[in-house]
Amino acid sequence: MSILYDEGQQAIATESRRVLDARTSKDRLLKLLEHTGQYDEPFWQTAVEQGWTALAIPEQHGGLGLGLVELGLVALATGAATAGAPFLTFGYGASQALIGSGHADLQAAWLPRLASGEALGTVAFAEGTDPLPAAPTATFAGGKLSGAKEAVPGALKADFAVVWARHDGQPALILVELAHAVRTPVDSYDNSRLYADLAFAGAPATLLLEGDAAQTLALDVLARMAVVTAHEQVGGAEALLHTARDYAVTRKAFGQPIGAFQSIKHRIAEMYGLVEIARANCIHAAASEGKDNFLLAASDARIAATEGYDTASRDCVQIHGGIGVTWELGLHLHMRRARSLAVELGNLYFWEDLLVQQLTGEAA
Amino acid sequence: MSDLEAYRLKAREWLQSMAPKYARDARRGMTVEEELALGREFQALKYEAGYAGINWPTEMGGQGLTHLHKITYDSEEMNFGMPTVFFGISLGMPVPILMRFGLGENKEHFAWVKERVVKALRGEEIWCQLFSEPSGGSDLAGLRTKAEPDGNGWRMTGQKIWTSWAQYCDYGVIVVRTDPTVEKHKGLTYFWVDMKAKGVDVRPIKLAGGDSHVNEVFFDDVRLEDSQRMSPVGGGFGVALATLMIERYIATDSGGFGPHLDVFVDLVKGLEINGKPALKDARVRQQIARNHAMRAGLDSITSRAFQMMQAGMEPGPEGSLQKLVSVRSRQKLSELAMDLQGNLGLHFDPHAYVKEDWGASWLNAPTGRIAGGSDEVLLNTIAERILGLPQDHRPDKGVAFNQIPA
Repeated sequence: MSILYDEGQQAIATESRRVLDARTSKDRLLKLLEHTGQYDEPFWQTAVEQGWTALAIPEQHGGLGLGLVELGLVALATGAATAGAPFLTFGYGASQALIGSGHADLQAAWLPRLASGEALGTVAFAEGTDPLPAAPTATFAGGKLSGAKEAVPGALKADFAVVWARHDGQPALILVELAHAVRTPVDSYDNSRLYADLAFAGAPATLLLEGDAAQTLALDVLARMAVVTAHEQVGGAEALLHTARDYAVTRKAFGQPIGAFQSIKHRIAEMYGLVEIARANCIHAAASEGKDNFLLAASDARIAATEGYDTASRDCVQIHGGIGVTWELGLHLHMRRARSLAVELGNLYFWEDLLVQQLTGEAA
Repeated sequence: MSDLEAYRLKAREWLQSMAPKYARDARRGMTVEEELALGREFQALKYEAGYAGINWPTEMGGQGLTHLHKITYDSEEMNFGMPTVFFGISLGMPVPILMRFGLGENKEHFAWVKERVVKALRGEEIWCQLFSEPSGGSDLAGLRTKAEPDGNGWRMTGQKIWTSWAQYCDYGVIVVRTDPTVEKHKGLTYFWVDMKAKGVDVRPIKLAGGDSHVNEVFFDDVRLEDSQRMSPVGGGFGVALATLMIERYIATDSGGFGPHLDVFVDLVKGLEINGKPALKDARVRQQIARNHAMRAGLDSITSRAFQMMQAGMEPGPEGSLQKLVSVRSRQKLSELAMDLQGNLGLHFDPHAYVKEDWGASWLNAPTGRIAGGSDEVLLNTIAERILGLPQDHRPDKGVAFNQIPA
């Protein structure tokens, strides 16, 4: 079931785009690239002020009680500006894990603070090359968490993480405050994502959910985050499409705008196709939140958006020629973000296998 | 349940009642002529049941319903493989254009046009569209068939090509050159033509897939009355564009009018690679996933366009991606399906149905990528019309047609 955006949703789209256009500075974003451990705090202040942190949190916990469609629209605007902070997606993931766990005390402790922006949350599911390992090595026993998680987005600044771990031989979702973790900053090509290796040595932690229920919830949380990210990817890809188009009608070579050459115009037309197909999948996936086909729809969105953003960043730079690879022009902000978003939420192999499993029942 | 949903269910029920005699399974092994005869029969029943001319005005013999009702019916009918292929172009473009441009200034041809419309709706008469020529396909305005004044009428000589079903047609709409001394698209005029008239010669072209649904049509000094003219003299290009624009939102198929992905998955389930289930093979899984993501996107675009039309809005331009993206991927998926079967993929049935059979789908896919706007022309259209990119360098621009270097 796809949808048309209603008036309220259209207002969120327009307003978030307007605010970010006004408040995002390319120079500020470029500076962030050169320092590990800093992120776009002005963006996050905007997110708090605009209520984006509260969007998808239930009203009884101080949120606005909206959902993936609305958060997706904010992510679309965020992606277009290469603004953003890992908490937009991973904080949402943490809140969804809390909501799904049914753990009332922890919901009361954290959700209002996530909504108000006072607390920052993240999600640490991946280990090694696996976004959601069948047998995680992080271990929870006797109220303590031990083990390691690599390059966790947002982990340098987050107050807590929802961790995918093992408990009594079963997979489990664990909440741990990161004050109890050893955090090692990870130098990255997209430093404002605040990646850190996390090491836990008997850190005090709380069990949220275990067994099959934890497995189901973890996959749902991952898929929800993938849909938010897919919107961000589409926003980025669409911005690159427009940038490429604007350059192709302005820049002249051999006596005509380069956009009059089919090698250029067809490349841009193909970008348009990738963007619109990915956008359509995003709208469908966001509207399928909580439905039986959600994992399938989320996989469609994730695959199309990743392909779209990677291709658009490749081709937009190519269309610009030499100027496209300069630090100053900043197209590399998109190149970097396209890759960090492609990797953060699990690579395409993971989502392709998940999609086929949903479609055919056959696991990889 | 919405009105449209009720309409859909009623249509489906009617189609189910027709299926035993007319649907694809009932026609296996029939010749084209037998299928056409059955198709005419079905078309008459469709007219009686109120499913022909769904969104055409009632005073013309239509049902006076909305475009959405038509798309709703068409998408249901597509699932049955009914023998309507002979009438698709006739009722899709020439006849609607006749209703719009063929009535005459004071509607003096109304009775004649209405008779044609009803006969076309009932499958008794078929119309073709005579646009493409050996020297002008994608470059429509480059056509060379000419009509010269002859008393109070015209005489037409030249050749058209790729004309679908012309061998069975009673009438056609045609664009011809009436003035070679002006810019190419300014010297064209639009007529209707009697396909049984003296001097009209139709020769079927056998295509790579073995079928002959397209034709060459030769016109040797064919007389046209001025009352057959459907555009101002020199104003034919505008009516030609209107013809091509008439059905911007038709029932689409994210499978590119080839087999759907579930047919592919069913095939793969029975196959092995290196002694292991093919469905476990990462390369196969990747193709399934990528195709699914792409087709789901096209389906979502279609579904939103439908909702926009229901809400009285104009659907977005992204609908123009459908044929480009879906047929291209159908071609590759068909090749893969044949590959995966190993030597068994060498079997071929020339009469197999393109939506069920990978060999037939593969062999006919190139037609889909060329007919109705080639991939390259569609990309140009997206780039120019949607994204505002400049036109290609056009050496023939501003040059009189007879001065363009051949």
